[in-house]
Amino acid sequence: SAAITGLRVKVPRNFRLLEELEEGQKGVGDGTVSWGLEDDEDMTLTRWTGMIIGPPRTIYENRIYSLKIECGPKYPEAPPFVRFVTKINMNGVNSSNGVVDPRAISVLAKWQNSYSIKVVLQELRRLMMSKENMKLPQPPEGQCYSN
Amino acid sequence: MAENGESSGPPRPSRGPAAAQGSAATPAEPKIIKVTVKTPKEKEEFAVPENSSVQQFKEAISKRFKSQTDQLVLIFAGKILKDQDTLIQHGIHDGLTVHLVIKSQNRPQGQTTQPSNAAGTNTTSASTPRSNSTPISTNSNPFGLGSLGGLAGLSSLGLSSTNFSELQSQMQQQLMASPEMMIQIMENPFVQSMLSNPDLMRQLIMANPQMQQLIQRNPEISHLLNNPDIMRQTLEIARNPAMMQEMMRNQDLALSNLESIPGGYNALRRMYTDIQEPMLNAAQEQFGGNPFASVGSSSSSGEGAQPSRTENRDPLPNPWAPPPATQSSATTSTTTSTGSGSGNSSSNATGNTVAAANYVASIFSTPGMQSLLQQITENPQLIQNMLSAPYMRSMMQSLSQNPDLAAQMMLNSPLFTANPQLQEQMRPQLPAFLQQMQNPDTLSAMSNPRAMQALMQIQQGLQTLATEAPGLIPSFTPGVGVGVLGTAIGPVGPVTPIGPIGPIVPFTPIGPIGPIGPTGPAGPPGSTGSGGPTGPTVSSAAPSETTSPTSESGPNQQFIQQMVQALAGASAPQLPNPEVRFQQQLEQLNAMGFLNREANLQALIATGGDINAAIERLLGSQPS
Repeated sequence: SAAITGLRVKVPRNFRLLEELEEGQKGVGDGTVSWGLEDDEDMTLTRWTGMIIGPPRTIYENRIYSLKIECGPKYPEAPPFVRFVTKINMNGVNSSNGVVDPRAISVLAKWQNSYSIKVVLQELRRLMMSKENMKLPQPPEGQCYSN
Repeated sequence: MAENGESSGPPRPSRGPAAAQGSAATPAEPKIIKVTVKTPKEKEEFAVPENSSVQQFKEAISKRFKSQTDQLVLIFAGKILKDQDTLIQHGIHDGLTVHLVIKSQNRPQGQTTQPSNAAGTNTTSASTPRSNSTPISTNSNPFGLGSLGGLAGLSSLGLSSTNFSELQSQMQQQLMASPEMMIQIMENPFVQSMLSNPDLMRQLIMANPQMQQLIQRNPEISHLLNNPDIMRQTLEIARNPAMMQEMMRNQDLALSNLESIPGGYNALRRMYTDIQEPMLNAAQEQFGGNPFASVGSSSSSGEGAQPSRTENRDPLPNPWAPPPATQSSATTSTTTSTGSGSGNSSSNATGNTVAAANYVASIFSTPGMQSLLQQITENPQLIQNMLSAPYMRSMMQSLSQNPDLAAQMMLNSPLFTANPQLQEQMRPQLPAFLQQMQNPDTLSAMSNPRAMQALMQIQQGLQTLATEAPGLIPSFTPGVGVGVLGTAIGPVGPVTPIGPIGPIVPFTPIGPIGPIGPTGPAGPPGSTGSGGPTGPTVSSAAPSETTSPTSESGPNQQFIQQMVQALAGASAPQLPNPEVRFQQQLEQLNAMGFLNREANLQALIATGGDINAAIERLLGSQPS
């Protein structure tokens, strides 16, 4: 049942998440980020895993960063919770637990319901290429946060 | 939780609303499924049994992507696929896409070699340690590895190769094969300083026996080498591999363009061949296309006038935009190329056109060519034909569409490099020039032989004035009435008088405007220059000056006067008086037996003070 809010149609959560699931499987995009359900049996479509391939010519190059994304009940009206699993040194990411600070990342801070998991991952990747991040010293490859 | 099962129940990927690719629930059968493997750079489809393990899948992938299986990292739906997993386990079904990351020691995933990779090789490290001659020899492929004291340099590098020539050829090959490496080497400051030292470069080049032969056969080449400007330009070109390629292409284009020009350009081509062949033979292995460039650029810069004319790219595209002192030259040439695409290939053509034009310009400067040019000059019909040549039209069009490019092109004329102030002044004029070019009146005027002749007269008159009474010109504004210009060209405003004339100059390689053009820039004092900016500008300036008095409109006149004065003022400090400036050269010419002071002065002005070139000019003009 689509509720009409103002002039926009509010897409039901599952609808949207299923779409995102399909996109993730089809590899929509340029192949530098990937996402999917953490558990295929998860009927709530809440827990997702994401992957970002470190952009070239940055310190993150050639590394694969694994993330956990949680789409709460209010998604997509509310932004998801995002957390790095692979250790990373980057502005906006908590260095002890990998949690992405929603206030520091613009797509999360100014979330719109047209955004998606893909958008979040792509934005994080783009931020890796920013001057402030691209040369930050990184922990050895493959380390993960303990939580 | 919203249990809106529009999607038919459990959120299984395969049963999602749109994921209707069947093949979902048949785990046991070894069905072949098609899975796309995607890297940031490429995408391949693989047909594998449904129940494959990830390991097996990787094996298939490694063959096609030419990597080891342990270099492959597969990601699906945000998860890394482990070797012992199966595709089914991750829900990888027919038609889905898996992301691939190829991990390698030096390379980023699946990307082509970065310069650092090439750098990994000895060569790069070899080039880095900077031995003067080595970078030059390795980088300046055109100049050849073997010929340029590369041996000495290499030995200083302490390379272990016992056979220097082998090493050199290896390095050369690697360089040729790896543009990134070339770029990297070129960017090395040592190399750059090396390259910017014309004397050293000249020595290196002269050391090549083949080159020496060539020089004997064609003394012009020695001019090239002796002219630091040319050398510098050549080196700049050599520094930029992209430019080199463009130049090569331009040369080809220039040749083909020449073919299509009605008139005596067959002779031109013959001349080309005469020069090309020995150059090619001498430089085949090592020099590549550079000799042409050198020839082109040297003549152009050395002769001054010619290049500016050619720069106009008229029928003879000027592929080589001699790089001005700045780095932007590379980009400029590229852009210029785009602008001057003259209907041929677009961006590449332009660069080539410029280079070709330069090459052509150099050809122009030979005495034979000069006589040819004279013939053409005397035949306005030829000019008209040239002007109406379709590619010139398209060239003009593209130029007018992209005034920046045209500006760059004109500004890059070697003449400008000597006179940056003129450049600055020229720059704002250029858009107007281009507009004028598009003005049908202008075009018709240019193809009007009488108008052209009148322009010639003006230019000649100005030139005479310049030599006779240099001090007269700056204050000259009213006086030389060239009502013809005003009417024939149909000026429309302050810019107008300059406009039509301007383009005419640039686009008339030889023409009537020619002589004045070159002389102008070379010796701005008074003469056509009256501050005419080099080449095109000059011509434009000249007519504008002449027109200024005639143009009735007050604002026109004032504008022209101001411009003239500004130009004169700008040029004055630099080149107060050709006679003074070339005092020394004049004396030398006198001592050599060239007693016609007027002719000497003109020749010197035209060649910018290059005695050798001036002598050739003087000699060339006599027999004809």
